[in-house]
Amino acid sequence: MRILALALALLALPPLHAEELRGRVQLLAKGGKGAARGSDVRQAVVYFEPASPGPLRLPETSFQMVTERKELVPRVLVVPRGSRVRFPNQDPILHNVFSVSAPNQFDLGLYRQGPGKEKRFEESGLVRVYCNVHHNMVAYILVLSTPYSVSPNAAGEFVLTGLPRGPGKLTVWHEQADSWTMTLELPRKGPEPVVAGVEIVRPLIPSHLNKTGQSYFRSQRDRYNN
Amino acid sequence: MALGRSRERWCVLLLGMAFCGGMAGAAEEPVEEATAGLKPRLDWGLEAKASFRHSEDNRFVVPFPFDPIMLPVGQTRGFEQTVNPGSHFELSTVSLFVDAVWGDGLAAHGKIDFIDLYDRNPTSTDKKVDVDEAWIRFGIEPDPAALPARGGVYLKAGKFPKFERQDDRHLESYGLVSTAFNRFEDAGAELGVNLGRHVYLKLSATAGNPVFLRDPNALAGDNGTPAQRQPNPDPELHSGVVILYDAEIEDLDVDGELESGAALGYRFADEEGRNGLDVMAWGYQRKLAETVELEGTFYGGDLDLLNGPVPASAFAVTNDDKKEFGGNVWLYLGGFSFFGQYVDQKLGGLPRTGIEGELAWRFELPLVWAVGDRQLFTYISPAVRYSKLDNKFSNPVTTPSPSFSWDWEKIDAGLRLGLFSGIDLTVEYADNRFILGSGAKRENNELLTTLRWKM
Repeated sequence: MRILALALALLALPPLHAEELRGRVQLLAKGGKGAARGSDVRQAVVYFEPASPGPLRLPETSFQMVTERKELVPRVLVVPRGSRVRFPNQDPILHNVFSVSAPNQFDLGLYRQGPGKEKRFEESGLVRVYCNVHHNMVAYILVLSTPYSVSPNAAGEFVLTGLPRGPGKLTVWHEQADSWTMTLELPRKGPEPVVAGVEIVRPLIPSHLNKTGQSYFRSQRDRYNN
Repeated sequence: MALGRSRERWCVLLLGMAFCGGMAGAAEEPVEEATAGLKPRLDWGLEAKASFRHSEDNRFVVPFPFDPIMLPVGQTRGFEQTVNPGSHFELSTVSLFVDAVWGDGLAAHGKIDFIDLYDRNPTSTDKKVDVDEAWIRFGIEPDPAALPARGGVYLKAGKFPKFERQDDRHLESYGLVSTAFNRFEDAGAELGVNLGRHVYLKLSATAGNPVFLRDPNALAGDNGTPAQRQPNPDPELHSGVVILYDAEIEDLDVDGELESGAALGYRFADEEGRNGLDVMAWGYQRKLAETVELEGTFYGGDLDLLNGPVPASAFAVTNDDKKEFGGNVWLYLGGFSFFGQYVDQKLGGLPRTGIEGELAWRFELPLVWAVGDRQLFTYISPAVRYSKLDNKFSNPVTTPSPSFSWDWEKIDAGLRLGLFSGIDLTVEYADNRFILGSGAKRENNELLTTLRWKM
């Protein structure tokens, strides 16, 4: 019986031979010609998904995405699947944060300055977060089934540590690009860092509609003015 | 209207604001989907405008032999004259709106003007309460430069804006073309066919707006009002420096010969509605009536107006056809927009053309101050409009309205500032120039500041 308990305890521990993965993210201009300008590589997220995923450890407190000066802060939030995210409103005006990204869609409705509301994200995937009142408010919640994620530094360099040995998938996500992926086996052979060239294909404020599928811009037209 | 005379209307406005105060925050409320079934989704709206207007004081001698008893005491010549020169605070608009929507297939709209000082039609003695719009529509009518989800047909009936009218305005003033040709609603039916998402066709059969005269600045001017039938009249409001224009219809009666209209257009837009382009060619045709009775004036509209009060003041009308052909362009690129229109008209054989273009920008302002959960100073929107009216016909020997045939040019430039949810302030200047029969260039300019509240 003791042996069985010990075996179970060992299974719950991190792998004994934790690996490290170094690399660099390069943001490329549209068409892949040269470096992209005006895009922040620090907003990228690099994550590793082992072929045999381990258990996720959820924090006891909720994450936060704050509305502040008509912006959502942080603009990119990475959370483990099953996490709760609170949306405090620090602006003295009403906001209506919502997402139509299935299966994590939500609509907080209009809410004023204060602690805001909370949403639990049960499924992994990208959640595009907008405000129904203010078109330019954009943010992303990346709900991951893996604990191994990091954002690059200003030079695009990243180090993922504590990775388990074995096969898995490395993904580089950036809000303005299509995701870059690579399957690999840890430990890698050779000291060369992974280089991910990510092509910028979308503007900082992506094309989107309000929560009812209507254009923000058409509602600004002055129909009662004649 | 001077401030003192409008005290009663101010009270009405304040009462209305107090009554509707609880709804003032609704401007940013999320829009609920239309409910299915027989019960419509109802949206009520109210718009009020208070204005400060400064109009230059100009007058121009007219070559009409007025009987001295028709002129103010001591005056020997008649003039076309700025309607109400000087500086004035005015309550210019109080309008009530209602929209009823039954799903995608059926919608109705009503707009009642309790005060519409600058669209008083055609004189200040016109009826005070006006049903400006009242229509019902079957099917979906896309906005200009916006893609419908799919092709389809709509039918609209009642009193509604003409399809070539600028639907999205950034200044309170109007250009010369939008005043002369399509400022006012018409009554009848309009059929729209969307041949796919991009190509569309419109057909209309309407009563046709009567031809009358008005000043292109804010106030239309008083012409043929009951006060002018008094001996030696000296009314508070003057004639204005007038152009020929398509006045508002008097009622929903569409008896008689109808005006037929048609348009063919092509639209292109992104799905987000941020960018779009719409080009449309259009035309109208109807027979001019011998006369059209208009409330608020004893002058007749249509041919009666063109034939003048005496034979020597008749314009060289050759037939009773009224034909207009034109083209529209709408362009939206993010916060930038352009509206352009060209019109070629034959009015009983009298030719004239007009061109108008308006550029506008909208810039969202950062959050600095807020009151009651809403931002103060939300956006700023500069706009500039150029319009030109080229009248290619001559005046009769004696006419009370020589400005009919002058060539006109107008530049309107202004700035709209979003003050608060549903409240904005527009400051604009109209540089209004014309070339007299003598070839002399003159101006009749105006500053207009408008505080608008809508909910």
